[in-house]
Amino acid sequence: MNKIESKGVNFFYGQTQALKDINISIKPNTVTALIGPSGCGKSTYLRLFNRMNDLIDDTRVEGEVLIDGKNIYDKHVNVDELRKNVGMVFQKPNPFPKTIFENVAYGLRVNGVSDKQVIAERVEKSIQQVALWDEVKDKLKKSAFELSGGQQQRLCIARALAIQPSVLLMDEPTSALDPISTAKIEELMYELKSDYTIVVVTHNMQQAGRISDSTAFFYMGELIEHDNTKVIFTNPNKERTQNYITGRFG
Amino acid sequence: MSHLDTELTELKAEIIKMWALVNNQLRKAQEALLSLDKDLAHEVISHEKRVNAYELKLDRDCENIFALFNPVAVDLRFVLATLKINTNIERTGDIAAGIAKFVVNVDNSFDKELLTLTRVDEMYSAAINMMEDVLEAFENEDTVKARGVFKQDGLLDKINEAANKTIANYIRENVDQIDEAMYLLSTIRKLERVGDQAKNMAEEIIFYIEAKVLKHRSTKEKVKTPKAE
Repeated sequence: MNKIESKGVNFFYGQTQALKDINISIKPNTVTALIGPSGCGKSTYLRLFNRMNDLIDDTRVEGEVLIDGKNIYDKHVNVDELRKNVGMVFQKPNPFPKTIFENVAYGLRVNGVSDKQVIAERVEKSIQQVALWDEVKDKLKKSAFELSGGQQQRLCIARALAIQPSVLLMDEPTSALDPISTAKIEELMYELKSDYTIVVVTHNMQQAGRISDSTAFFYMGELIEHDNTKVIFTNPNKERTQNYITGRFG
Repeated sequence: MSHLDTELTELKAEIIKMWALVNNQLRKAQEALLSLDKDLAHEVISHEKRVNAYELKLDRDCENIFALFNPVAVDLRFVLATLKINTNIERTGDIAAGIAKFVVNVDNSFDKELLTLTRVDEMYSAAINMMEDVLEAFENEDTVKARGVFKQDGLLDKINEAANKTIANYIRENVDQIDEAMYLLSTIRKLERVGDQAKNMAEEIIFYIEAKVLKHRSTKEKVKTPKAE
């Protein structure tokens, strides 16, 4: 069964239609890259998966977005539960003004976990999952702001993982990072996909090629092409895709 | 034009220059062979260095484009095809120089009767024609022309297959001409390989333009023009 599916999805900011009839199926334990020029709708589409767009006034969704076969826009869906299952990492690292430990423990506490031992174990596991443990294990009580940008971003990924989601959304997660930190995050995504389904928005074509199993190209709110990443970057079916990935757009 | 477009255009112009040089080397070696013009043969041998220099430069240019521009899709296929065609052209250049070396080494001119019997001149012209057609196909991105090259190879194969018997018979009757006959047989073998190089290049052109891999397919499959979509 597909992990994520969108069927005939339209999305509106007021009167402006930002997404037009988007149909995509995403298999579990894969990395899907969403690419396209600024304003094409790829981030809007990503934010549909954890209903982040609900927080924006005067927006409207049509169609169905299914995760594990259930429509997440069904009126009975508990959005907090949905967001526990669908974690998100943003473009700029956004740690809380708390200690390194508390940043990761926060989500657990908010979700009602109070057992100190469980929290400690989950925090350590999550930080290890993002390959940050050796770098921070001796300064867990220090402020997260003392970490470098790359470390902060990995901490934010650990924070997302701590509440044990099954889907991880990433909106340009390395655009503010140096090449070494970028390589670490990319390596991390490759490792994490055995446990999670990852959807990532990126402007970096080479990154999409390196990290993803499938790539979806958006243009002006439309899904132009969604295929195996190898096909997209060697012989795309649509001329518009080829023009975009070869830099001959417009 | 984008920076990458400029690099790709320059790469194409450069390999076309090398290609034209090698086709010219083949023509001169043909003339030297038929008229036993040792001076012309020496010229071909000395120009071989220029072909080698082109090969090294084009290898480096392709490497730089891969490293600096990370080409994808049609651009990637173009650079990959160019890299392989570069090797094919260089080998064809080696063949022209090899034939020129025979001309330098041979003592007597080739017997006109043997030249006629083996059809070497006809084979040589067909090989050059294939090289010219495949160059034209590359220049104009013409896959129909590239496919035409596969058909032409049949003549080269036919002449090559008949050569053993023809030359063996000739040697039996002209023992004093063994060296010349053997050089001619080797030349025929080399020309057959020119045909193979031209076919390889045609395959690369089709790969780069149509993204179709034709290697190790039958000639019948190769010449089939895809239906328009």
